[in-house]
Amino acid sequence: MTQRDKTWLFITLAIMMALTLYPAFGSFSGISGLRDILLFALFAVSLDLFWGRTGILSFGHATFFGAGAYGMAVMTIHLAPGAAWSSLAGLAFGVGLAGVIALAVGYFVIFGGVRGAYFTIVTLALTLIAQQIAIGWSSVTGGDAGLIGVPPLTLGIPITGKLFYYVVVGLLFAVVLALWAGLRGQRGLVLRAIEDDERKAQTLGYNTPLHLLAVFVLSGLIAGLAGALYVTGTGFVAPDMIALLLSTEVIMWVAVGGRGSLIGAVVGTMIVWRLQQEVSTLSASAWPLFIGAFFLAMVFFFPDGLPAAAQKLWARGKGMKEGRTA
Amino acid sequence: MPDIVSLCLNALTLMSILMLVALGLAIIYGLMGIINLSHGEFVTIGAYTLFTVQAAGGSFWLALVVAPVVGYLLGTVLEIAVIRRLYDRPISTILATWGLSLILQQAIILTYGAAPRPVTAPFEASVQVFGITYPAYRLFLIVFAFAVMAACVLVFRKSPFGLDVRAVIQNAGMARALGVNAERVYRRAFASGAALAALAGVLIAPLVAVTALMGVNYLARSFFVVLVGGAGSIPGVIAGSAFVGGLESLLSTTVPITVAQASVLILAVVIVRFRPQGLVPA
Repeated sequence: MTQRDKTWLFITLAIMMALTLYPAFGSFSGISGLRDILLFALFAVSLDLFWGRTGILSFGHATFFGAGAYGMAVMTIHLAPGAAWSSLAGLAFGVGLAGVIALAVGYFVIFGGVRGAYFTIVTLALTLIAQQIAIGWSSVTGGDAGLIGVPPLTLGIPITGKLFYYVVVGLLFAVVLALWAGLRGQRGLVLRAIEDDERKAQTLGYNTPLHLLAVFVLSGLIAGLAGALYVTGTGFVAPDMIALLLSTEVIMWVAVGGRGSLIGAVVGTMIVWRLQQEVSTLSASAWPLFIGAFFLAMVFFFPDGLPAAAQKLWARGKGMKEGRTA
Repeated sequence: MPDIVSLCLNALTLMSILMLVALGLAIIYGLMGIINLSHGEFVTIGAYTLFTVQAAGGSFWLALVVAPVVGYLLGTVLEIAVIRRLYDRPISTILATWGLSLILQQAIILTYGAAPRPVTAPFEASVQVFGITYPAYRLFLIVFAFAVMAACVLVFRKSPFGLDVRAVIQNAGMARALGVNAERVYRRAFASGAALAALAGVLIAPLVAVTALMGVNYLARSFFVVLVGGAGSIPGVIAGSAFVGGLESLLSTTVPITVAQASVLILAVVIVRFRPQGLVPA
């Protein structure tokens, strides 16, 4: 284990400890608010898995989050209301739906050789269409108003309140640690090789589209899981859970926390949500304006994310100090 | 029979708008390899130019002249302020133009409000064509759009500017070596694309609700056009527009519009799998 790995594990476990201890101090509403944010963090981790590890930016990840959310809502409200197993069926249906969409779109697009900016655009279009279906197919999705009355998660016993919070914390860190461990070895190196130069990786005998598709589908499944769990907490589903704006917000969460580290996505999500609470109180236009300004600033001032920029700034400051004493 | 005629004319209307919007996107992508996510906002800006001109007592025809000028100037500013700095970073361009698109949308909402704005077509009459009654304005829109496209083809094929653009699309390094000022070509092509989108905005405004968020609809469809048709070629844009506009109009007679649009996307993605370079590549 390298020093870098040790630092990563230390930070991750420290954050996990803090989140586990939080309910002892926080209020009930604080806990459910934080739980929702952690589910968005799980969503951010799913994007970071794909964008961070392959370098390909998906502009439509809310499609998978929304598929999970709508899948859960439609199953528990329309298809199997009141059944003991309806939560489980909803979970399977929502996550499955996200996975199938990722597999179908990913197969055609990734094996079709679509990469780079074009990939970003196709996924952007995907999110627009998904949102239009969510709004337009109102007999199933409830249209603009969405669906109300998603029951709380029930797996034998109802999972609500503090228990739900702990389940979410446990799941989030199980996913983060599993992905980290799973991508430390050769699989992670192959992905990095693909990010550096896909043709070279291919020449070395790796089926690069298959690797990319596997990561894309896994990423879609995790996003779907986050969405399905999220609606059991809020009790309703609405078209903004599958919207283009959410697709871009999740990019911002990952960028704030630093792309590629997985735990950074968790931290970034928490920071941005705190910020959003402050900014949104100003006016309805304030938050979209803030996101717009953030993207422009990111591109020009911190293209590798905030932590990398901070590190650079810190290194420069240190360099100057040493320069003075020398 | 009358149904078929009106279907064809509806398809042609949508195709005309898509051609004008997508041409800018396709040329910019073919030329610079970048994708402008704020392109849809130029459609919105064109539509609001029409509203502003009409609210000030001006006519539709004045707006039809003013809007492309506004689009061209704003496009030039955008190219100099943002795009130029990101030539070699396509993903960054997407993020930056997306940010810009959000800022433009909110700026329009803060200036004009969130409610739809009223605009009027230059003539309300309907005329008899091929045995059906059809709004004269839509017919004008189709003819005008095709005339603009024909002019673009002429500029592309015959003018010195068009020659420069084609040269840079084919091989930017070689064009530079032969004395083409590629940066100036980029700037002028980008601004022209914005002007065309603004023109399309004026044309479509009387047929739809003019709101600050209207642009995103045309942005998404225009990307399908470029995806299906192929980037950097005018025939590709025409083929792509015919595909997207025709299919969407045809499908929306039998299924809800959202299902129609979803089907078009699915078909576009399938086409990308088998013809990644588009139907009519540059």
